[in-house]
Amino acid sequence: MTGARDIVSVRAIDGLNLEIREGERVALSGHNGSGKTTLLRVLSGIYKPRAGSILIEGKVGALLDSTAGMDFEATGIENIYLRGYMLGMSRREIASKVEEIADFTELGEFLELPVRTYSAGMFTRLAFAVSTAVESDILLIDEGIGAGDANFQHKVQQRIESLFRRTPIVLLASHAEGMVRQFCTRRLIMEHGKLIGDEALAADEVKMQPHDALATTSELR
Amino acid sequence: MTSANFDLGKPVARITAEAVPQQAIADLMDGAQRYPLWGHLAYHDIRQRFRRSMLGPFWLTLTMGIMIGAMGLVFSTLFKQDVAQTLPYIAIGIIFWGLLTNCINEGAQAFISAESFIRNVPVPVSVHFYRMMARNVFIWLFNMAIYVFIVAVFRISLDWSAILFLPGFILFLINTAWIALASAILSTRYRDMPQVITNVIQVVFFVTPVFWSPSVMSHRPAFVALNPFYHLLAIVREPLLGTQPPVQSWLFCIGLAIVGLAFTIWLYRRAHARISYWV
Repeated sequence: MTGARDIVSVRAIDGLNLEIREGERVALSGHNGSGKTTLLRVLSGIYKPRAGSILIEGKVGALLDSTAGMDFEATGIENIYLRGYMLGMSRREIASKVEEIADFTELGEFLELPVRTYSAGMFTRLAFAVSTAVESDILLIDEGIGAGDANFQHKVQQRIESLFRRTPIVLLASHAEGMVRQFCTRRLIMEHGKLIGDEALAADEVKMQPHDALATTSELR
Repeated sequence: MTSANFDLGKPVARITAEAVPQQAIADLMDGAQRYPLWGHLAYHDIRQRFRRSMLGPFWLTLTMGIMIGAMGLVFSTLFKQDVAQTLPYIAIGIIFWGLLTNCINEGAQAFISAESFIRNVPVPVSVHFYRMMARNVFIWLFNMAIYVFIVAVFRISLDWSAILFLPGFILFLINTAWIALASAILSTRYRDMPQVITNVIQVVFFVTPVFWSPSVMSHRPAFVALNPFYHLLAIVREPLLGTQPPVQSWLFCIGLAIVGLAFTIWLYRRAHARISYWV
């Protein structure tokens, strides 16, 4: 925006009605700029609606930017703590998971070094490992999650599966068709902030554990 | 719409467009309760600034000490006053002026610099404000080592009335906080504000008795008597020097805190929900 005189206003979400129940893993589809990320931000409470209402039952976790809060000058371990705090974990919670996270990354002694010394792949691995350690009832994921080289893929798959299985509601905004097909039970298609499609999907992955959590919106703008 | 499995153990959030202004206070309260988060981030900020330096955060103390030493010597020579009188006065003045103005100047950037954080991590926006305040209070603690040193060297005699520093400091912090939060909100919306604020503070520095004392004047001119910064400094400086601030200063600061808090909360009610759009 260049000045006060050329204000452009966008209605990013328009009259959206939606109810998502426990056990649903929902894929959000739509072109870039169709309102997927905005919807996730509204559901997480970052953006406040101009009209309408939202009811959320359960603890919301957001993986909108899987590196948010990380600091290149800090060590790997420090970044596990920083990122953990961003995900709403307490110090104790992070401390109890730090070993498991460190093991998963296979970064060994590199974890004592500043993250700026890491290769891109190592950094992604670390970010992925912490982000997927999050415990929440409703998880909002933007642009998918994933990490790593070929021989790491198997572990990544398992970890994503475990995350999806223990989280009652997952909303995934993704263009990665494979992941959507594998995990999601429902697909919402958005265009210009409107919901234009809502279809059931048969996820390949095993059934989820019973939970209760709920996210609904009505006439959201 | 029914929610059959209503579970009291789960947090329930209702977000409605109409209720947004009312959530301003909740945002400030919830934000304050996230002290492990902002406390850690503030600590991390300071650690980060001095990483790989030998003295570490004691550079803060040293830098401040050098400035105070130099100013103390120059001004006691210029005004032909006793160093034992001038130096402690200037020292405390500059330490608290630093806390006050760093909070206002960095407050201007508190939300702006946390942009990606605000857009991607769902925490109350006020967390970023508390982080900035906590960071500056940490820095102030390092600077207060100089005060301890000065008390020892110049043998400043303190009696029980020095305890008045505590209510003075609380009042000082409350006033600093509302000015800094107002600065943060206005700067996020109007990006010329940080520059305006920096310039205003620079001018105010010279008209406020930070390093010079109004006691050399026959009467206190209006820019001192009505200068909120003068009174804010007085209620913390005088008890630390073993003297008493005038009653007017206390009243002025209490009044300022009430009016200022009311103003800033009004501002925050209007602005807090839009900060994530503005950054």
